[in-house]
Amino acid sequence: MTALPVASRKAVRSYARKVVLKHPKQLSLALGLQALTAGCGLVAPWLLGRLVEQVQSGINRVTVMVLLIIVFLLLQAGTLSLANYHTARLTEKVVAELREDFVRDVLRLPLATIESAGVGDLITRSTRDVQALTQAARTNVPSTLVTLTTMVVMLGALLLVGWLMIFPCLLAVPILWPIARWYLSRARDGYLRERASYAKATESLAETINGSRTVESLRLNSWRAQRLREDIGVAYQAERYTLSLRSVFLPVTDTAIAIPTVATIVLGGYFYDHSWVSLAGITAATLYTQQLAGLIDLLLYNQDKLQLAGASVARLLGVSQERTDELRVSAASAEPRRAPAVPSRDIEVKEVCYGYSAGHDVLHDVSFTVREGERIAIVGPSGAGKTTLGRLLAGIDPPRKGSVSRGGVALTDIPRSELRSEIALVTQEYHFFNGSVRDNLLLAKPSASDDELRECLEAVAAWTWVSELGLDTRLGTGTREISPAEAQQVSLARLLLSDPHTLVLDEATSVLNPKVARDLERSLAALLSGRTVISIAHRLHTAHDADRVIVMEKGRIVETGSHQELLAAAGSYAALWTSWQGTGALPSTPGVA
Amino acid sequence: MRDIPLSDTGKPDCRAPSRLFLWLARELRAPIALGVVYGIITMLARSYVPLVTGLVIDRGILGHSRSELLTWGAVMFGLVVLQAMTTTLQERCDFANNMGASFRTMQLVNRHAAHLGATLRERISAGEVMNIGIGDITPIGAALAATSRGAGAAVAVVVVAVIMLTSAWQLGLIVLIGTPLIVWLLTKILLPVRRKQQEVRKQQGELSGIAIDIAGGLRVLRGIGGEEHYARLFRSESQRTRAMATDIARLQAGVAGVRTILTGLFSLAVVWLGAHLVLTGQLQVGQLVAFYGYTVFLATPLRWITDSVDFMNQGRVSADRVRQFLALGRNLLDGLDGLDGPDGPGGLGGLGGLGGLEPAARAELADPESGLAFPAGSFNVVACASSADAAALGDRLGRYVESGATIAGTPLSQLHLETVRERVLIVRNDDYLFAGVLSDELDPTHEASPERVMDTAAAASALEIIEALPAGLDSELQAGGGNFSGGERQRLRLVRALLADPQILVLIEPTSALDALTEAKVAQRVRANRAGRTTVVFTTSPAVLSLADNVWYVEDSTVAAAGTHDSLLADRRYESLVTRGVDLA
Repeated sequence: MTALPVASRKAVRSYARKVVLKHPKQLSLALGLQALTAGCGLVAPWLLGRLVEQVQSGINRVTVMVLLIIVFLLLQAGTLSLANYHTARLTEKVVAELREDFVRDVLRLPLATIESAGVGDLITRSTRDVQALTQAARTNVPSTLVTLTTMVVMLGALLLVGWLMIFPCLLAVPILWPIARWYLSRARDGYLRERASYAKATESLAETINGSRTVESLRLNSWRAQRLREDIGVAYQAERYTLSLRSVFLPVTDTAIAIPTVATIVLGGYFYDHSWVSLAGITAATLYTQQLAGLIDLLLYNQDKLQLAGASVARLLGVSQERTDELRVSAASAEPRRAPAVPSRDIEVKEVCYGYSAGHDVLHDVSFTVREGERIAIVGPSGAGKTTLGRLLAGIDPPRKGSVSRGGVALTDIPRSELRSEIALVTQEYHFFNGSVRDNLLLAKPSASDDELRECLEAVAAWTWVSELGLDTRLGTGTREISPAEAQQVSLARLLLSDPHTLVLDEATSVLNPKVARDLERSLAALLSGRTVISIAHRLHTAHDADRVIVMEKGRIVETGSHQELLAAAGSYAALWTSWQGTGALPSTPGVA
Repeated sequence: MRDIPLSDTGKPDCRAPSRLFLWLARELRAPIALGVVYGIITMLARSYVPLVTGLVIDRGILGHSRSELLTWGAVMFGLVVLQAMTTTLQERCDFANNMGASFRTMQLVNRHAAHLGATLRERISAGEVMNIGIGDITPIGAALAATSRGAGAAVAVVVVAVIMLTSAWQLGLIVLIGTPLIVWLLTKILLPVRRKQQEVRKQQGELSGIAIDIAGGLRVLRGIGGEEHYARLFRSESQRTRAMATDIARLQAGVAGVRTILTGLFSLAVVWLGAHLVLTGQLQVGQLVAFYGYTVFLATPLRWITDSVDFMNQGRVSADRVRQFLALGRNLLDGLDGLDGPDGPGGLGGLGGLGGLEPAARAELADPESGLAFPAGSFNVVACASSADAAALGDRLGRYVESGATIAGTPLSQLHLETVRERVLIVRNDDYLFAGVLSDELDPTHEASPERVMDTAAAASALEIIEALPAGLDSELQAGGGNFSGGERQRLRLVRALLADPQILVLIEPTSALDALTEAKVAQRVRANRAGRTTVVFTTSPAVLSLADNVWYVEDSTVAAAGTHDSLLADRRYESLVTRGVDLA
């Protein structure tokens, strides 16, 4: 398995920069309000310092001072509310953009990439990573912004109350700087590993759930428990690694940030003795440095969480990297667009080689032409490369060598939306999307009327159960589960609705009862007359009904011709046909002869 | 720190959410207790810092004593170091609690999902179980990890109150009354926010649901288009989520303002009263600064207490979901017997209306209701006019639904389900292939020798699949067998079933995805491989039917005819079902 890519640190940083600069107005509004809040918040300790000095000298202006502080407190509360709200509004906007971009990129991922990475990785990214990011954006990003602005404002205030008091604060820097660098350079990879191992454990659990019937029938309970235990073991080790990093980082920083607080008050004592600072100055400075320590603590805590979110962002952006690779390819070859004057719909397969892993080709030098309106059946023993060929014919994967083209343009260079209105692929993989049967059908043609839907469902012999169930009944969670056969019928109905010129059917009726499948194929054939149909099937009546049969073995075409021609040739196909009919079948194959 | 993962997850108490919680807490009592101790020490250290600050001011600065200044400065620093150390130790305990609880819960969910087996999907959707298994374990872990902070914070509040009470009872009283009052007020204010948060979380769940759906159905979308539709759908739901979240942010911003005002007024009450006490000489200036420091400091334990309560509540909600799942039972009750019990009730033996059928009592496996009865050691093929019948009969024969099926005359319902599963293996095409190393997944019990694995693979015509792999049996099998074609998956399932080597093997449409030549080979080899044991194949393939000892033709879930393939071909219904190729129209 090749995991999906993870974006580099640099890519994440440049993305963050882009996001920050994308909404300059909202950002400066939020930051300005935060600075205002911080400013109001700093008035209280300053007034308090004054109060302490007055009280020390026996002056009673307590009530006035307290009322004054209350005024600033109310101001602070007001600006805080506004600042929080505007910050949240901005982060929600940014987060929504990121997750929408991510899903859009997922939808554009090359299928081969997803297949080699496994769906689990994609699911963890689109759920857990998106959530981690949302969480961080809601709490840690605003908190970091607030902390930073407050710190800046506070250092300014500290300069005002007694500029000497700034020096104790600098004492922490020589410790904080290197330890933060040490930690942050290790944390990211640690968190990334945590994510990856967690994804594996998640997948393990998902498999137990999806395969629960199999677990029962094969009595795999303890085996599944062991598998999860192993995955959790790995995840736990990854978690422990980051814990060990924190176990060094946190006590050192906690101690370091306390140094200014202690130093302020002790040095303040010396300065006071020399009358360099006032008592009010010391009081305010002590309160400030205490707050500052809290802020640095918060900043480091948020930094840690942001590392975690950064790991998530790297995983989300990794998907878009994959997409840009693909876009680059098609953009490069999009320039010499095919001449629209010759709208040939013949598909030409020229000397195609293809393999899923390097050095292991499953197709060798395959060449043939699918003429418009032709019905072709591809048959052969399983593992012969039929499904792979079907995917190339539908423009899903590009050939490693050679070309699959229509009107001189490689299928993979045709924009996807255009390609899908012309060539559709239905495979034995079925997936019923959450929602109603109607939702599932309208995917192919959003404007379809009820009559059209009914017509298509009738053609695939699904109208009976759909009308009983209701076209708009939501299926899935907690309600009736749809059977594989039903899902396959729906996907065929969807295909009819999308009505492409060329259809690639890869065992598209294999889940159905043979008899039902045969009837269905006949009715499909009637509806699809004039369309190009390429069927991959091991049930040979499909081949019998086709204009041309292509027989594949071990990644090569070994025979081509009509059913009758191939029977007469008494080669591979003839042997397959005899065997398929079985010993007890009637020997005669009349009909066409 | 105890080792994670556990090899034995124990038996949880699922009677009530709090009981499940307590059970987890009991299991984790050592790190929880230790965490509480560290949490208390760290908060004690923190709560003495303002007091010492006051002492530095009063004795060191205002008293102009350099030695007092340095002594109390050193004490202050010592407190900080103590706090840093114990915080780290406390976090390590929190980690143990968090991981211990969440991973254990994940294991429990996994174990129970496996236990529910075929029943799982009838009771609950896979997505919900996943939500429980990966979503709800986090709040549970967080709740148990919050114990140390919560305890430390509570102790800190008490200590601060005591310090203040002893130096100035009026101030102590304000803290004692003010603290719970503020916590209470804030929780009250937060209630509507929490409710809305639930809604946002639900909406986020919907959004994740769409994302999961997209990931799962991407192959299909690739084939037919519809990507734009899903991009649009996701965008509109995402924007809905955004609107809700922004809405709640407004509320939260308001709450934050109120919180600032409340805690600020609380501090000022202390300052106002304290300043008057200083003026009347009842209090020293340093103490006033210390008390102000306390009220600021108290914001932290206050927040921790409300947070902990919050975590506990969220954890309880999650624990309830976990508990409800863990309390789900299987549909079918275990029988009381092992297999050695006496033959079933005599009544069952009388069924044998159809010519040539073994009476159910003497058959190895029988389903009296449909009329199926398979003799021991025979190779049987059942041809069903409707493929739905094949699945339904398979369920009956394996007691996946309540049925009158019998093994050697004993009703399955009288046996332990475990015994039934051990004796009868039903193999269907939707059986799952788990991700892992091929040899592990084909033979999860690791009982077969490599030679036997290869021999069995040959019997299922799967040898060529394995030999084509770069690492042979050590190659990786992806989830659901995703890296194999439909026909290859079918043969791998067959290898797994043959290696399990059950007394009775029921295969439902086992060759439906195979080409004719392979099908014929598989039929012959499986028959040879199963020699001496009972095998039942549901199929309409002539290649398999022609090899059968007994053939059963089923219509409307009941046996309509029985015999051999050749003899049944005389039956028009059977003949039209199994004859392939061109219709004789």
